[in-house]
Amino acid sequence: MEYDIIEQVSELAVSGSPLEEKLEKAVALLADYLAFDGCAVLLLDENGYMRSVAAKCPEALPPYRLGQGVPGLAFTGGALIEVHKEAGDAAWEGIEDSGLEGYRTALAYPLKEKERTCGVLFLRARAKVRLTLLKRQILKLAAMQLLILVKSSEVLNDHHRVYSELLEMQQKLVSSEKLLALGDMAATMAHEIRNPLLSIGGYAARLKRQLPPGSPALGYLEQMGAEIGRIEKIMNGIIRFLKDNAVELKTDDLHCMIDEAMELFADEIAVHCIKVDRRSSGGPLPVLADREQMKIAFDNLIANAIQSMEKGGILTLETSRAGEFAVAKVSDTGGGIDPKYMGYIFNPFFTTKKHGTGLGLPIANSIIMRHKGTIEVRNEGHGAAFIIKLPVAGAAAPNSSRHETGEAV
Amino acid sequence: MKKRILVVDDEEGLRLLYKEELEDEGWDVELAASGEESLDKLEKDSIDLVLLDIKMPGMDGVEVLRRVKEKWKDLPVILCTAYPHYKHDFGTWASDAYITKSSDLTELKQTIRDILGKKP
Repeated sequence: MEYDIIEQVSELAVSGSPLEEKLEKAVALLADYLAFDGCAVLLLDENGYMRSVAAKCPEALPPYRLGQGVPGLAFTGGALIEVHKEAGDAAWEGIEDSGLEGYRTALAYPLKEKERTCGVLFLRARAKVRLTLLKRQILKLAAMQLLILVKSSEVLNDHHRVYSELLEMQQKLVSSEKLLALGDMAATMAHEIRNPLLSIGGYAARLKRQLPPGSPALGYLEQMGAEIGRIEKIMNGIIRFLKDNAVELKTDDLHCMIDEAMELFADEIAVHCIKVDRRSSGGPLPVLADREQMKIAFDNLIANAIQSMEKGGILTLETSRAGEFAVAKVSDTGGGIDPKYMGYIFNPFFTTKKHGTGLGLPIANSIIMRHKGTIEVRNEGHGAAFIIKLPVAGAAAPNSSRHETGEAV
Repeated sequence: MKKRILVVDDEEGLRLLYKEELEDEGWDVELAASGEESLDKLEKDSIDLVLLDIKMPGMDGVEVLRRVKEKWKDLPVILCTAYPHYKHDFGTWASDAYITKSSDLTELKQTIRDILGKKP
């Protein structure tokens, strides 16, 4: 049946295979059906070359530019070109095409959508081949199907890209709105909770001092004091998280900042038998940063890494430069983050630890965001890796600038 | 003669707590429930140090601080607040110390000793 080929290509179109695979199968079917030795789909790439995306070819095709060779001419001319390399063939005269060495017949059919050509279906045969009228019609139909294949895949890719961009933007929006709302809430809470807490804690301490030694109530009051201290610690975390914290930016060295943050943890590292692997690229890493705040951010990340390795492990601290960014990487061997929690770890109050406040990572995140940097997390090796990127301070950047954002609550 | 501290806070529970705790430390303590009242007391009584809450209805602590420093520029003022980030408000820079409210009064007592101990 002459139309079998159309049916076969149509079946390919609705199959779930990737585009490249569909095209590979389609060109092979067409080459067989039309009795050509080679068949290829060439699409225009961003550099102006016609790139073969699928081919059944005994020999590789040369790189064709627009207007070059048989496929290039078919592309620019927007019409079928059929050449037979023999004396008297008007179409062949004046064409140079290194892809046709050893071939006698070539056919290039533009893949055209309305007036816009996006590629060429290119066929070569060593022997002389003359297509019947029916085969020509079938070739035309097959070319259209190939075009549909290519176009539908482009549309699908665009759709996927736009969708993932939208999703990413939506997530950023949700998280920034959450931060703003939380900032307002935290300010109110700080006032409404801290004062009564001070009162309760202060009087409990007075009461404790007035009780006779040995009184059983001493223990109760001790407990009350400790619990109030715990709430106050959480309050401090929330307040640090407030949106309108001022950032005082100065040019500073990222290598030093992370070393300084690390100093605080010398005892803990020894207690948990953690090995520290400090790697740093040569040369200074100048960034515009508020040193105190960045230290808090690194403190939180390092503390987080150490908590994941209570039975020992390797803490790797890496600082390097990648183009316009200074990069700091804090990684551990503590087993990594459960993929189902990956999306939540920067959410305030999210914690998987028994005594965690759920504020360490959100604080680190908000500080880094205020420095126009990014923080990324992924599981790597035997643990989690946090990658912080900050813009490298340019030579033209001011030495010191003070940023006040918003008024104090 | 004992040095006298003026405690300014709109919350009665806190005023009383500060009074008892600071009297135990050996200071004389006067109380004011608002910014306006604190300025009246400063006119009438002799005060050696002001412990000042920032967030109060009516005249707030930043405004009281400004007026105090205009009139009695050597009178020490300790700002006391629930929000540590007031530190970044330049209106508070004139204070002699800045303390975040906490049920542990050790830091506050130490700061008072540091300031009043140094004064003749």
